[in-house]
Amino acid sequence: MAELHIIGQIVGASGFPQNSLFCKWGIHTGGAWRLLSGLKEGQTQVDLPSTGDMAYWSHPIDIHYTTKGLQGWPKLHLQVWHQDSFGRCELYGYGYCHVPSSPGHHHVSCVTWRPLGSWQEQIAQTFVGGGPQLRSPDLIYSGADRYRLHTVAMGTVELELGIIMRHFDRYGVES
Amino acid sequence: MTANSPSVFLLMINGQIEGANFPEYDDLYCKYCFVYGHDWAPTSGLEEGISQITSKGRDSPHRLVWNFPLEITFKSTNPLGWPQIVVSVYGPDTFGNDVVRGYGATHIPITPGQHTRTIPMFVPESTSRLQKFTSWLLGRRPEFTDPKVVAQGEGREVTRVSSQGFVTLSFNIVTKDTKRLGYDTTATETTHTHPVAAGFGPGNQTLSM
Repeated sequence: MAELHIIGQIVGASGFPQNSLFCKWGIHTGGAWRLLSGLKEGQTQVDLPSTGDMAYWSHPIDIHYTTKGLQGWPKLHLQVWHQDSFGRCELYGYGYCHVPSSPGHHHVSCVTWRPLGSWQEQIAQTFVGGGPQLRSPDLIYSGADRYRLHTVAMGTVELELGIIMRHFDRYGVES
Repeated sequence: MTANSPSVFLLMINGQIEGANFPEYDDLYCKYCFVYGHDWAPTSGLEEGISQITSKGRDSPHRLVWNFPLEITFKSTNPLGWPQIVVSVYGPDTFGNDVVRGYGATHIPITPGQHTRTIPMFVPESTSRLQKFTSWLLGRRPEFTDPKVVAQGEGREVTRVSSQGFVTLSFNIVTKDTKRLGYDTTATETTHTHPVAAGFGPGNQTLSM
């Protein structure tokens, strides 16, 4: 059985309207993959940068998977939230990226989007905050029912991921 | 020959904490320590250290330089728990007390070679403005009881921090026996494991086993 190690961090995010941000992340895989150890989901700290625009989390990711097949390569999905000074949380973006499939060190920039409501909801959102959210997070990384959504672009999340693969060449896999 | 079937691989780190970029603070020193999983053990070198106190130069007003050496070798049976370096930076406040100016952590690079990393540094935020004022007055800022918390993923969701500076590190990494144990840390197009492809590939590929 082949093994995959994902060793890296969610560095931070930029390009959002406010910069007091945190991120909920998770990794989704297909049925052939089994998690051996490590956390496959989590939530970062809340960062209020005092200099600059980018919020930094430096959230470590250290996961060990074993797999019987190439289908369902791991996907990292993210939800970026904003926490204001009163402690209220507001959704700022959804995004996902595939975990890189070649060994080595990779810098990944994950783009994010937010669902856009009707024009009444948009006006309310500028005054009160809040806004539509996805009912189930599966839609972040699947393409199934996306045609129903109308979304708006938000900022970018930066990740540094190191990938170590083991025994993939025994099965003839080139990566 | 026992060298044919190794059970551990080694990771040798030669590097330095080059310096920092803190726009608002001066006269800083740093401490580092390594955080690693259960399968890892240091075989030689120092796991922790404290640097000298450095000030900003006149000609490059934003740069603080430590040039602080890091030399350590780890052995392990499993890449899980790959070592991370945790750097904490301290400096004096207006009253002369030693307060924390930032915590940061990063994984040691996984591929052999020369690498430079610039890591952001953040401090925990006070929960209320009153606490912020009293901590400024008394010189007792919020800090982590154990800096190694910064290298972990659990329990972070309840912390509020403020990022305020960067530290630059450079590493030279050497690994031993990772390939013999089956771990690929570089893409296979640079290795010669398929002699059949040698005739079709670029001219500099050699037939080797």
